[in-house]
Amino acid sequence: MDELKLAELKSLNETAQYIVIKLGDEQYGIDIKYIDNIVRMQNITRVPKVPEYLKGVINLRGEVIPVMSIRLKMDLPVDEITKATRIIILKLEQHGTIGVIVDEVREVVTLSAENIEKMAYDGKEGKINFVNGVGKHDDELISLLDLNAVVMEK
Amino acid sequence: MDVNQYLEIFLDETKEHLESLNTQILSLEQSPEDADTINEIFRAAHSLKGMAGTMGYKRMQALTHDMENVFSEIRNGSMKVTSGLIDILFQCLDALEEYTKCIQETADEGTNENQQLIDQLNDFLKGGGQAETSAEKPKKAKKEAKAETPKEDQKWKAIPLGDPEKHVFAVAKKQGKHVYGLDIRVQETCILKAARAFLVYKAIEEKAEIIVCNPSAQDIEDERFELEFSLIVVAECEIEQIIAAAKNVSEIESVTGDVVDIDVSEYADDKYGKEDDKADTKVAVSQAAQGTAVKQSDKKASKPVVNRTVRVDIEKLDVLMNLVSELIIAKNSLVSASSTETSLGSGFNEQIEYLESVTTNLHESVMKVRMVPIESVVNKFPRMIRDLSKKLDKKMELYMSGEETELDRTVVDEIGDPLMHLLRNSADHGLESAEVRAKRGKPEVGSIFLDAYQDGNNVVIEVRDDGNGIDVEAVKTKAIERGVITPEQGESMNEKDIINLLFHAGFSTAKQISDVSGRGVGLDVVKSKIESLSGEVEVKSKLGEGSTWIIRLPLTLAIIQALMVIVGGEKYAISLGSIQTIEDINPNEIKLVQNREVIHLRGTVIPIIRLSNELDIESTKQDDENMVVVIVKKGERLAGLVVDELIGQQEIVIKSLGKYISKCKIISGATILGDGEVALILDANALI
Repeated sequence: MDELKLAELKSLNETAQYIVIKLGDEQYGIDIKYIDNIVRMQNITRVPKVPEYLKGVINLRGEVIPVMSIRLKMDLPVDEITKATRIIILKLEQHGTIGVIVDEVREVVTLSAENIEKMAYDGKEGKINFVNGVGKHDDELISLLDLNAVVMEK
Repeated sequence: MDVNQYLEIFLDETKEHLESLNTQILSLEQSPEDADTINEIFRAAHSLKGMAGTMGYKRMQALTHDMENVFSEIRNGSMKVTSGLIDILFQCLDALEEYTKCIQETADEGTNENQQLIDQLNDFLKGGGQAETSAEKPKKAKKEAKAETPKEDQKWKAIPLGDPEKHVFAVAKKQGKHVYGLDIRVQETCILKAARAFLVYKAIEEKAEIIVCNPSAQDIEDERFELEFSLIVVAECEIEQIIAAAKNVSEIESVTGDVVDIDVSEYADDKYGKEDDKADTKVAVSQAAQGTAVKQSDKKASKPVVNRTVRVDIEKLDVLMNLVSELIIAKNSLVSASSTETSLGSGFNEQIEYLESVTTNLHESVMKVRMVPIESVVNKFPRMIRDLSKKLDKKMELYMSGEETELDRTVVDEIGDPLMHLLRNSADHGLESAEVRAKRGKPEVGSIFLDAYQDGNNVVIEVRDDGNGIDVEAVKTKAIERGVITPEQGESMNEKDIINLLFHAGFSTAKQISDVSGRGVGLDVVKSKIESLSGEVEVKSKLGEGSTWIIRLPLTLAIIQALMVIVGGEKYAISLGSIQTIEDINPNEIKLVQNREVIHLRGTVIPIIRLSNELDIESTKQDDENMVVVIVKKGERLAGLVVDELIGQQEIVIKSLGKYISKCKIISGATILGDGEVALILDANALI
């Protein structure tokens, strides 16, 4: 029992690092432990007969990696490719390696557990919840992405 | 002792030995007197036992030990090989395979004692081969054999005893002390097993001296035991006192024990047993002795074995493969650089040619390392057919050829199940019962053939039987019944299409459902498995004469020659293996048949597939321009793929699209071009 409490305390004090990205006007955080790499936007080879949000595949040092658009997945307006556009390569246990397109990568922040407000699942809207918490950092709010929900097939 | 590093070798060798045992026992059944076969079997069983002992797999060791005893009797000529004995031996092999599987998954042999098998073996030993295998008999015999055979609840008898222990027992006996074996079982609900075991240990130590402990004291302390552990102790008092002391500890379910009857003569009359026990216990006693045990079994197996293989870690091979891939990519970039910068001299081209020959050679040699004969897979089939023959009560014989045909390791590993399905299918559905065969004037014994051979860049495996063949009408009726097709569709289908319905999911024509086949999950699994290996399967059948299942597999999966094409501005690769010809077609030559576009080419009507439609992209060509049509072949069917432009032939490295994009059927993978772009590989088979 004591061990459990200890573990709880530990997790409260634990901090996690997030990469802050921009999608439209909103800021999102991606847990750094899932991030393998961040690369510049490059030519994406379209793959036919797949959902629209799957943009295709890219060559990442000899490996073929699928790339998806978070914007399309989250029903946001279509990506506008600018100089700041990046592809974040995620390594997820369940889905393997996958790239996601973001408008801009801003910074790395360290959030302690007390600065994160967990968000309960809101099933009313009938939509998939892509955000599982909100982090507070220097008066700014960062929506923390639930990567499994983002990557999960529709 | 840490034996984990040997685990892989152990597994590999065990599999090899089991395989050889399977084949040898089969041939033993054919020629029960053949001394060479018996020797071979004995050697394999012996090595197996030695290895299991070295690795500490006690149950496996116990079973092989008894098997070895049987083989030894056969070798000495004091026992005859009977069909019943062969059956039990095969069951033993199955049990051993089960252990091996368990070890592979969990590094532990599991808890199945297979006591019944051991008992049956011992019955044979006692009865000199006369024993019956009926259900009651072994049970009776089991009681009689109680003295010799370790009972299920006397696990301490399985503890290997070495010379030092025996010496201690002898001394103890001289001093008038008793030697007891104890089995202690901890309650399943017990949380701190190790602590309970320790208390038992302590309690017993007050009364007696613990000589051997199984699992070892260290293992027990670390809670590395199931619910039971066994002890052999030396004590002056009666066994009841010890048991009572142990039972005093709470959460102990049961304590059983008996006097250990150690008789040196017991070992003396069993020559082999003694030798092995020595080898095994030496290993258990000291780590250094491991070499001795291995040497011993090596000596026994000094006769050249059928197949010596060099084992290469597949991961290392993959690394090598990747290196080659990169080399080829590098070459491709050189090629693309040379075509854009014409100012460079001819020396540059020479370099490329050199690089090309190097990469091609490297590719070939790496491929050869990955190639293994299909033997390792097909060798288990004679045994399976024998079992099926008994189960289905049909007489049949399996004839195999081309076992030496080589295929990529990954393919060989995967091809076993589909082949097994097809063979079972032939045995169950294909071959008729003896009466029907007699009526049809066929030989009583049905024949199943498994032929493998190389055909160009493919390996073909054929499963053929001289049985009933496929009843097209029955298939059609069944398909309509099952709602796979509508009656109207059935009318318009030709024989071949109907036969292909067999590969439809949820289809089985067996009138009786047997446990061999008939659940309707066979053939569609076969098909999808083979397709996942980029192969294809087709059936030829003649009612009343038999059917042939033809599996075609690519020699390699990693690097292929491909034709690069452009469709709607995008580059695609089509495997050269499936391309028949390339034609320049005037749009006027396209005709409509049943609302599908076809062309008439040198006497054959070929359906046209517009790739731009399939790939959801706009063609860059005008409607009235001449079309480039790539004619591809799948089995005997042809189709014309309309592309915008041809780029040329290229050696490409196949990369997987990853599991995330797996739903796209017409794309079989991707490759990286010289300029770093990704091009998709079209699967012509899926398009047709």
